[in-house]
Amino acid sequence: MSAPLIERIAAEHAATADSLPSAVVPRARRKRALDSLIARGLPTSREENWRYASLRALERVRFAPPASGASGGREQLPAAVEGFARFVFIDGRFAAELSDPTAPPGGVIVDLGSRAAGTATIPAEPDPERGDEGAFALLNDAFAVDGAHVRVGSQRTDHSGTTAEAVARVEIIHLASAPAERGASYPRIRVDVAERARLELIERHVGPAESASFIDSAVELRVQAGAVVEHFRLQQLGARALWVDTLSASVARGASYRLHSFGFGAQSARSTQTVRLLGDGAETGLYSICTGDHRQVLDSYALVEHAAARTRTEEIFRGIAAGRARVAFNGKIIVRPGAPGADSSQSLRGLLAGPEAEIDVRPQLEIYTDDVRCSHGATTGKLDEAMLFYLLSRGLDRDQAQRLLKWAFLEDVVARVAVPALRRQIETSLADQIRERDGLKELL
Amino acid sequence: MLAIEDLHVSVGGAAVLKGLSLAVPKGEVHAIMGPNGSGKSTLAYVLAGRPGYEVTRGTVRYDGQDLLGLAPEERARRGVFLGFQYPVEIPGVNNVYLLKAALNAVRKAHGEPEVDAFEFLALVREKMKIMRMEESFLSRGVNEGFSGGEKKRNEILQMLVLEPRLAVLDETDSGLDIDALKIVAEGVQSMRSPERSFLLVTHYQRLLDHIVPDRVHVLVRGRIAVSGDASLAHELERRGYDWVTGEAA
Repeated sequence: MSAPLIERIAAEHAATADSLPSAVVPRARRKRALDSLIARGLPTSREENWRYASLRALERVRFAPPASGASGGREQLPAAVEGFARFVFIDGRFAAELSDPTAPPGGVIVDLGSRAAGTATIPAEPDPERGDEGAFALLNDAFAVDGAHVRVGSQRTDHSGTTAEAVARVEIIHLASAPAERGASYPRIRVDVAERARLELIERHVGPAESASFIDSAVELRVQAGAVVEHFRLQQLGARALWVDTLSASVARGASYRLHSFGFGAQSARSTQTVRLLGDGAETGLYSICTGDHRQVLDSYALVEHAAARTRTEEIFRGIAAGRARVAFNGKIIVRPGAPGADSSQSLRGLLAGPEAEIDVRPQLEIYTDDVRCSHGATTGKLDEAMLFYLLSRGLDRDQAQRLLKWAFLEDVVARVAVPALRRQIETSLADQIRERDGLKELL
Repeated sequence: MLAIEDLHVSVGGAAVLKGLSLAVPKGEVHAIMGPNGSGKSTLAYVLAGRPGYEVTRGTVRYDGQDLLGLAPEERARRGVFLGFQYPVEIPGVNNVYLLKAALNAVRKAHGEPEVDAFEFLALVREKMKIMRMEESFLSRGVNEGFSGGEKKRNEILQMLVLEPRLAVLDETDSGLDIDALKIVAEGVQSMRSPERSFLLVTHYQRLLDHIVPDRVHVLVRGRIAVSGDASLAHELERRGYDWVTGEAA
């Protein structure tokens, strides 16, 4: 990205630094983040990992956060999912009046950055050495105005000596309302899950249809030994929004982290996900759906690092590109020398649903140890002609048959959402995406 | 019901059917037999309208109308049913959804309202009983993970629900053990009616022990080489296809 853009970021930061809460990010740390960002610059589409991302829209962004007091109505929020404590943020700021934090089960504590007395609860400092993937995390560090810190304590043993199987359930909604010219929003989430604890986390990024917002989210998770985390991420921003996202997770011995990502919205969305399997037997599942239409650009880069023995990855991506959309998924897996017995599988599939659409799925493997099992499959193509003919031969409309097959194409990922109410919401959104709400209603 | 005149069909540039003529009157069951590669499945696909099968000459009339000019879905709605030799697996689309969508497509074409949910389930359960299929099958993906026999039973179940006027069953007997063969045959027998015609495409005569056809036609190198009554199937079984292919040569 151009030098003038970085200069503008620096100038806007200098102008607003005094008003940025040091309880969220200490001032010195904001400065360090900014300096690192200036030193390395923002990524550009000339870089291999950013080939598909559309960052030109950054030119019109005001990087400082919008003035507080942004409004947002309950009507812009998705229906509540029973059993989940809800925390709503508007343009990156906690909105108490829209939240419903009623005692989440499972001994979970959610601290809010803007209310914290200290700084201990805030995401760890981004590592400037992490390469291009960290640039937008640094930007978030420099400007964030609030954050959520989800802490889930260890399973307690009850009186009879058995371990309670309580699952903490938290939903965090980030609503983007300000247009990019007024300011950017910096969603910020840190999740700490103690040994053997269990968490189901729903994270949503939503915004009104007409709002051309800029959102730069940073999410960090630490999953301790034996803990189990199911993370559901829904990106349903308005059709003019620009979203850049950095997620990093570390997974300890015997722990499991499963990330279910659904990317439907935004004009341009780029998600960079890094999962490190640090302990023996740690496992992760990355399950993603991206559906793009019109001129949407939806780009994901997922890096999984196997750094310990017997670690496992299952990665499934299903993307549909219609209209003139571009959808890309780059799934990279690194197996370090200290990871014998590592096992990874990747199934990346893209579906072209328009003559001018573009889709690219790329599995990448870097293996530094012999004793591994890595399998991958990557395909892009059109709808299966044999399936299509089968449905037509039963009298279904061509349109209906095509939509049904798109639905079926995505089902692999949707079926893994083990929260029924959430799965229904996702299915409804998908049916909207493939413009077949009525025709598919009986599947919902 | 079905009148095929001098039908020539090419697949990938190669002529497969070379002047096939055949008439199946209303209410009759006709069997098409023949050695591998004689064009049996091509005939079945052409009748259903599968893309990639190029008709270079000839006509097919169904109820007096030009069948070849209709899109596959339109043929289905007018009562033409193809039972596939290799039914396609469609994970993610469940059986009950497909059955209902298919039935409603036919009803819509006849100007009838969508089927009532309870009536539909009652209908499907009744037909499943005939095919001895488990209830759990309804929520499974279309043919997903089905055994060969289950797939064929599913084809017949669809036929029972859709009540076509012309059913073309492409090697519905292949890959079936004797019990499954009986079930499939019972399903077909339960559908025989003066208003409905069948074209059974088969390699072996054994299906025809259970469904006795009105006529048997032997297809050799893209043409009907010989036709006869049900006894022709037994003769073929005894003497082998060489007997016919030799004569046709």
